[in-house]
Amino acid sequence: MKYIIALVSLLLLPRPGFTQLNFDADLISPQLRNRANACIRNEAITVDMIADDHVTYLQKKTITVFNQNGDDNARIAIGYDKNNAIKSIKGEIYNAGGILIRKFNQNDFSDMSAVDGFSLFTDSRLKLFTPSVNQYPYTISYDVEIRNKQNLIIHDWMPTAQHNVSVEKSSYTFISKPADQVRIKTQNYPGKPIESADEKHKKLCWSISNHFATKSEPFSPDPENYLTKVQIAPRQFYYYGHKGNYNNWQDLGQWIYDDLLKERTVLPAATVQMVKDLVKGENNDKEKARKIYRFLQEKTRYISVQIGIGGFQPVAASEVDRLGYGDCKALVNYMQSLLKAADIESYYCVVQAGSVKKSVDPDYASMTQGNHIILCMPLKGDTTWLECTNQKIPFGFLSDFTDDRTVFACTPTGGKLMHTPKLTTQHNLQIRKAMLTVNPDGDVTGKMNTIFSGGQYDNRESITDKPLSEQYKLLRAVYNIDNINIEGVLFTEKKESNPQLTEDVQFSIRSYAPLNGRKMYLQLNAFNVQPTVQELRNRTLPVYINRGFTDEDTLEFNLPDNLKPELVLVEDKHFNNPFGEYLLKVSKDGSKLTYFRKLVLHDGTFPAEKYADFSKFINDVHMADRLKLVLSLK
Amino acid sequence: MKTFLLSLVLCFSAWSAFAQNFTYGQVTHDEMDFDRKKIDSNANAVVLKEFGTACIQKDDISGQLELVFEYHTKIKIYNKNGFSAANIIIPTYKGANYEELITELKASTFNFIDGNFAETVMDRKAVFKENRSKYIQLTKFTLPNLREGAIIEYSYKLKSPRLFNFKTWEFQSDLPKVSSEYQVFIPGIYNYNVSLKGYQKLSDQKAELSKECLRFDGANIDCSKITYLMKDIPAFVEEENMTAPSNFKSAIYFELSDLTYPNGAKTSYTKTWKDVDYELTTDQSFGSQMKKKDIYKDLITGITQNAPDDLQKARAIFNYIKKQIKWNNYYGVFSENSIKKSLESRSGSVADINLNLIAALSAANLDAEAVILSTRENGTINKLYPVISDFNYVVAKVNIGDKSYLLDASEPLLPFGLLPLRCINDQGRVINLKKASYWIDLNASQKSITSYILAGKLNADGKLTGNLITYTQGYAAYNKRKDIQKSGSIDEYVEKIDERLPRIKILHHEIDNLDSIENILTEKYEVEFTVNDGSSNKQFYLSPFFINAITKNPFNLNERNYPVDLGAATDERISIQITLPDQYELLEKPKDMAIGLPESGGKYLLNTSLENNQLSLHQVLQLNKAVYEPSQYLYLKTFYSKIIQNQKSEYLLKKAN
Repeated sequence: MKYIIALVSLLLLPRPGFTQLNFDADLISPQLRNRANACIRNEAITVDMIADDHVTYLQKKTITVFNQNGDDNARIAIGYDKNNAIKSIKGEIYNAGGILIRKFNQNDFSDMSAVDGFSLFTDSRLKLFTPSVNQYPYTISYDVEIRNKQNLIIHDWMPTAQHNVSVEKSSYTFISKPADQVRIKTQNYPGKPIESADEKHKKLCWSISNHFATKSEPFSPDPENYLTKVQIAPRQFYYYGHKGNYNNWQDLGQWIYDDLLKERTVLPAATVQMVKDLVKGENNDKEKARKIYRFLQEKTRYISVQIGIGGFQPVAASEVDRLGYGDCKALVNYMQSLLKAADIESYYCVVQAGSVKKSVDPDYASMTQGNHIILCMPLKGDTTWLECTNQKIPFGFLSDFTDDRTVFACTPTGGKLMHTPKLTTQHNLQIRKAMLTVNPDGDVTGKMNTIFSGGQYDNRESITDKPLSEQYKLLRAVYNIDNINIEGVLFTEKKESNPQLTEDVQFSIRSYAPLNGRKMYLQLNAFNVQPTVQELRNRTLPVYINRGFTDEDTLEFNLPDNLKPELVLVEDKHFNNPFGEYLLKVSKDGSKLTYFRKLVLHDGTFPAEKYADFSKFINDVHMADRLKLVLSLK
Repeated sequence: MKTFLLSLVLCFSAWSAFAQNFTYGQVTHDEMDFDRKKIDSNANAVVLKEFGTACIQKDDISGQLELVFEYHTKIKIYNKNGFSAANIIIPTYKGANYEELITELKASTFNFIDGNFAETVMDRKAVFKENRSKYIQLTKFTLPNLREGAIIEYSYKLKSPRLFNFKTWEFQSDLPKVSSEYQVFIPGIYNYNVSLKGYQKLSDQKAELSKECLRFDGANIDCSKITYLMKDIPAFVEEENMTAPSNFKSAIYFELSDLTYPNGAKTSYTKTWKDVDYELTTDQSFGSQMKKKDIYKDLITGITQNAPDDLQKARAIFNYIKKQIKWNNYYGVFSENSIKKSLESRSGSVADINLNLIAALSAANLDAEAVILSTRENGTINKLYPVISDFNYVVAKVNIGDKSYLLDASEPLLPFGLLPLRCINDQGRVINLKKASYWIDLNASQKSITSYILAGKLNADGKLTGNLITYTQGYAAYNKRKDIQKSGSIDEYVEKIDERLPRIKILHHEIDNLDSIENILTEKYEVEFTVNDGSSNKQFYLSPFFINAITKNPFNLNERNYPVDLGAATDERISIQITLPDQYELLEKPKDMAIGLPESGGKYLLNTSLENNQLSLHQVLQLNKAVYEPSQYLYLKTFYSKIIQNQKSEYLLKKAN
């Protein structure tokens, strides 16, 4: 009954949208121009699921660019591959007054591979068009039609994804057959979609209008978590010749396991025997796994090969065994197969990797979440996680690449959500002790020991790999003090599940404490000055601190004897607030001056109005870090 | 730049033990145990041997002559950080009716296991092709079963119909090489100009006669067989502030000079500048476009109607083209379509835009020429003989009275006569429709100048209030205008500065001459900033270096191999006047300084004083050269270090009683 009413009312309404083709930029309201580099005048996306292996995607978009910075927003980039073909592209460019300047079509697009860097194989490609218009504002209007030969991944809608772009109107229509079952996830969408139906079709339409341009703000949450978004996942799906259906993570995990993984774990008999020999005499499963992991790290390396049903299926374990390389899927699958040979159970887990934490959505299962695979061993309660693409990472340590987030495990009994261990503020340590000798002429020599652990374990990752002379050069850049000369460095690692990296460095710094008149100027915090953060007038988003840390610096200065013994000493400083803590202490014992600094930053989300407190805290720390002693000469 | 013209005079030597390609698949203990300390103790991988040959042969099927290049290498990999040396990408080119082909590709990994060399042969299926763009195809593969300590070996054959540049050979790469050898067979009918670029020297070079190496048009043609050998080549490491790596990387380049057919007919390719001048001035996409002043016949009076003299006319035309045609981000010497088309579509490449400019200037009866050049990232030009493919850019030169101006209308934010930094690269060649071409220095016509003037007063509450005025010219002004444009509006630009500077508040701002590109960009800010909390106003420290303080040394390396190329001379001046709330005594102050770089390369002057209650500072920092040789590097480093040390000191002020 409801449907009929909706249908009737639709018929009565005047048809909105593309009938009036007035692209005059003056018609845009001042609010939509404010802080905007471009304005999306109208965007209409229509996804029509004709069949499981036939989904059309139609995008009609009109965007007005106000200045040079908006040029990127008018660039058209369309990805395609074997399963998602571009049917047509056509468009026009209009000047400020809405007069047609030129038309364009697919021939004006350049064509390129969508993957940068070394990837052996990928069939993801891009068609790219950059309108070069030199007078602003201008308007570009185009239609794109793509035919997807699959319905596992349905194009989603995120109409306000770009900063400094306003949206006059944007809509998303999803058409399916009345009998089709789909799950829909909407976020930050007020109200309900407009629904209409007849015997053959069921239509859902979401739309927004008059969204003003926003600007980017530092320390803000992941936009994916608060912007308006609609995602759709059909229950029945078809993908690269595979069929399946799912309603939740349990079903999806089952399908991935049964259809994509199960057959891929067979190893040559010789390798199975090799694993058995390798772990012979070892009773503890974790110790067995440790040995196998060492073997994996020695034998294999990561090479991107985006092959196998749209990049979802790993290369067979036997192939990795032969070649000694693979991508994340292949290496996890290979490790899993090796563990299986030693009768150790493990799960293939899909995760969204990156320093910024992103979890899979527990309430909405879909194939588009996650960009990396890791391995989880339940080990009877002693859950241990393995990153299989890194040949140097310690056994059982995930690093900040995949810590503290919900991942999706594909097991023989279906999909399961699991959470990776968190690297906490208390454990993300950088503990530093330095002994520095200041000479009468202001030169400094010293040695310094720094221990990095938890989330800070790989602070030196890009350096430890390098040849020694390169390490010196890079450390000079890290400590970036004028005249610093690195005279020796040694990195030692404790490769445990709570790993530590220790840096022992010897150095000299000519004229670190310059003399001027009867004074010597000594900056106490030589190595760890907190950078400032922006002060914002109008903060709109919550303050988000992705990961906490604790830094401690203890610097002992042996002062020269040409200084007067009395010193103007510095008052202790102590800031403590919800964001963290800062402690500064300077003490003197004879010619030995000790500087102690501690900075703790907590992770968490804080209300937008607290941003001023946050920036004050960080900027106060910056000022305190720049403390300089003025010492009198005898 | 170091380019040597290699003699191609065929002094056939009796060098019987001529070098040969090494046998594939044979690894020796010496190679497996090769001590990297012999060449570079820091290397993660070392090229043990590299051998290439190139010759011209007749393709049996098409009957066309083609270049056949064979490449063979053996690389020792010491550790996991060297594994990336086993990821190989070979680019090949394709055009409308030709395609380069790779055949006979093979690759193997050799591991030393249990006293034996174990070879793992790469599967053919492990080789992938990717169409990078319309013209470039990539052949990609990686070596199987790679372990630390492995030796990898691969070889392939490449066939190309492109004979003009023969085949370049890069002796130097990011890996050190024990030996790199290149053997070319050039048929007597072909004459190539050969040049060696870079800092490394050839260890050996031999030329001999290779009889009847090519049968063409029914004649047997002899070849000169030349072998170039370089040994113990260090890895090439890029440094900051340098122009194109290709200027410094050791490599050998070829360009076809002429071809004599067996019947005696001769076609000259690049030979002398006289030939090139003729070719360019008659080229459909170059000279013919320069001549098309008819396009501007009707427009020109309108454009120049308010211009009283030739200079004003030139400026008006320059501004017109800047406004009229938008750069599509492509470089080029030759017009892509035609200048008429790009004027109509209001979009074009550098060549389209600047050839338009030349045509328009000529239409106004101004003396306009074209200057072809090579951009900084494209490398310097071989000046021993003309190599047209070295050039990738064209600008206009207009001569008015006894002065001349270089103009590039592709960058709207640059003033008349100042070329973009990308063009400031050694010399360019002036191409005139009527006269012979000649070289011209490509220098920045303006210094990059910034001056700051602050007048303010310190209040009893420890806050300093005042007016800061900034003047910028040259590239400094260009960069600032670009920043402002990127910010969207002046307000947003100022807001960003304000947000970036904690403790400084911008209360009011005014920016002048933002759009008058020819004039000095002026920013006026009313600022307030916190010096201290006012609690210790009897005696306190005050650092006067709060404007562009130098805290990090830009020249922090211990040694430098290649010149530091900054593009333009810079000049920065700071002048500060602060009125103190009371009478103070100056107990300490930063030393007054006057230091310089050798050969008038630059200077730093600092002068501070307190008179009555007026605290003042004057500072000048000049770098007078665009390019500093590596031998000057340590002077630059010390120069900056002295400034940094001095800027650490502060005023100590004591209230006078």
